[in-house]
Amino acid sequence: MLAMCFFPVSSGREVMENSVSLQESSLAPSNGTLGNSSLSPSIVTDHMCASALPHVQHSHNPAFISQSSRDLASLLPLDASFSQSTASLIHTQGNKDVSWSLDRLQMFLDFPENTPAPNQLVESSTSVLASEDHNKKTNWQEWADDLINVVDPDWSKILDNTNVLNPRVELPKPSGDISKQQPQFHQNQLVPHGEFSSHAYPSSTAPPTKPRMRWTPELHEAFLEAVNQLGGSERATPKGILKLMNVEGLTIYHVKSHLQKYRTARYMPETSEGTSEKRITSIEEMKSIDLKTSIGITEALRLQVEVQKQLHEQLEIQRNLQLRIEEQGRYLQMMFEKQKKVEDEKGGAPSSASDDLLAPLPGSKHPPCNNGKSDSEALEQDHSRTGIGPGNAGTNEDKSSSGVSTKQKMPETESTVHDESGFSVSKRARTEK
Amino acid sequence: MKFGKRLKQQIEESLPAWRDKFLSYKELKKLVRQISSAESCVEYGKANAEAEFVHLLNNEIDKFNVFFMEQEEDFIIRHKELQQRIKRVIETWGPNGTKPSEAEYKDEMAKIRKDIVNFHGEMVLLVNYSNINYTGLAKILKKYDKRTGGLLRLPFIQKVLQQPFFITDLVSKLVKECENIIDEVFPVEQEDEEEIVKEQREAITVAGKGIFRNTVAALLSMQEIRRGSSTYGHFSLPPMDLPDSDLIHSFQLNSPIPIV
Repeated sequence: MLAMCFFPVSSGREVMENSVSLQESSLAPSNGTLGNSSLSPSIVTDHMCASALPHVQHSHNPAFISQSSRDLASLLPLDASFSQSTASLIHTQGNKDVSWSLDRLQMFLDFPENTPAPNQLVESSTSVLASEDHNKKTNWQEWADDLINVVDPDWSKILDNTNVLNPRVELPKPSGDISKQQPQFHQNQLVPHGEFSSHAYPSSTAPPTKPRMRWTPELHEAFLEAVNQLGGSERATPKGILKLMNVEGLTIYHVKSHLQKYRTARYMPETSEGTSEKRITSIEEMKSIDLKTSIGITEALRLQVEVQKQLHEQLEIQRNLQLRIEEQGRYLQMMFEKQKKVEDEKGGAPSSASDDLLAPLPGSKHPPCNNGKSDSEALEQDHSRTGIGPGNAGTNEDKSSSGVSTKQKMPETESTVHDESGFSVSKRARTEK
Repeated sequence: MKFGKRLKQQIEESLPAWRDKFLSYKELKKLVRQISSAESCVEYGKANAEAEFVHLLNNEIDKFNVFFMEQEEDFIIRHKELQQRIKRVIETWGPNGTKPSEAEYKDEMAKIRKDIVNFHGEMVLLVNYSNINYTGLAKILKKYDKRTGGLLRLPFIQKVLQQPFFITDLVSKLVKECENIIDEVFPVEQEDEEEIVKEQREAITVAGKGIFRNTVAALLSMQEIRRGSSTYGHFSLPPMDLPDSDLIHSFQLNSPIPIV
């Protein structure tokens, strides 16, 4: 019934971060809750990275790089044997997602275990490169060659690895599945064990001292049980708690910090807790002066809850909308790519918007960037033209029940994606013949 | 710059410990402008600029994740503690308790009520924190693509959608549970429509600092941000429907800093 969630922290930063932070001598240590990071073991990769990024100087705002994110940099790939089925699904997704954000240098430093990821990296990086130059393939090589000349010759070995990679097209899975999975993660009904989602980090990174963990109410309950068995928060020790809880993957550091939080919460009542204290006492003052003469604390509190409830409701609505927007975006992208594939395979006369498919890599995703973009825009425009019409009735249910009239544009676009995108795509295909 | 301004206002109004945890929107915007204007034809430069940009974005995301999960953990603990506290008060000073005392009971319950309402507010503000940072990221990515002709937005935002800080389900659940507790333990007596309206108007004098103020600011910000803009498009959120918009606007009357 217990689940523990490890979440992939966006990777690729490890190497980059250390290189930048080496150059940033004046780093203000912010709330480093995770303690010291491990810069020294990563010196090797730092060196390689630093030489490749000569332009990354002190121009950066130190605020970007906080102590805590450096600490996260010491996150390591967790043992694959820990992965359960859901976790391994997240793992694969995690890898894919990681690859989107990997910078090119990181890609070179990736070791073979990361093979699936660089595929997409190749795509995304070439798409950027191609915006400059139409022949993306040779350009990629050129750039890679430049890099070899600039940095350590050791890199050529690693580059050979990447040249071997087959840049196949891989459509990103809808993250909607994953966001559904995550809540299940929390309320996992399985036997107490830890669930991890991990990255295959380059093995040159430091061992994990404190991987970021996400607590759940169920886990906290187990914690409480253990604490009570051991005689209360004052008497219980982290080691004892850890043993009693018997949760796979839980470390003593997690328990320690959680115990500390617990003790704080317990022995300092809400009002004096944390940072909200000052604010709340000033509300109190205002209330006691103004309120008791006007409407009373009760009413003020009731009102406050109402406003808070509203904010929360609006936030939920907004979040759902944002998810759907991105879902639609993915869908459009997918349709666009399918379209490209159809065109490639047909090898027929290129349409006006996709001229420059010169010697494309088999199944390649992106035509030269500008054209690619205009294509997807054109697709969108298609939809907007056909968009103002019927067929939006069904999409309004899951939005807020009131104020539907203001949401015309979204549902219309969405419905047209489902109803008519097939039409416009095939229309395009026909005109190309 | 509208979003940037709104974000800044919200940050100013937010709890002190949170202030440096928000998205560095302005800086990122500057960077995007730098990248697009200093665009060299050299492949190396362009690719590197994007790498740098992505790296900074990732740092931001890490910042959000760490902060969010810390707060979430705190909330889990406090939520449980509040429940225990209520139970203890009822069992000790309640009518059927071990040492029933109406005065004590009332007193303690009043404290709990205030605490639980503020706790509720804080949790909602965390959800707001998550959302506004996400919105900012989406906007920055859109700007980046627009300015540099890149295709960074779509894939990158997919990744963001799966980040812990964006997955607010647990906190939302705690919020709802909190609401249930409030309704159960502090039931609202039915009042006249008129009475309620009168009280609400009087309550305008109440809107002070802190969580309540921040909440009001957040709501109104949201509304403003979602009003149509020049770049309104397929990926834009529709205008917001806020039933008590006027009332909430009126809460600002006493604020020294006008939230316009």
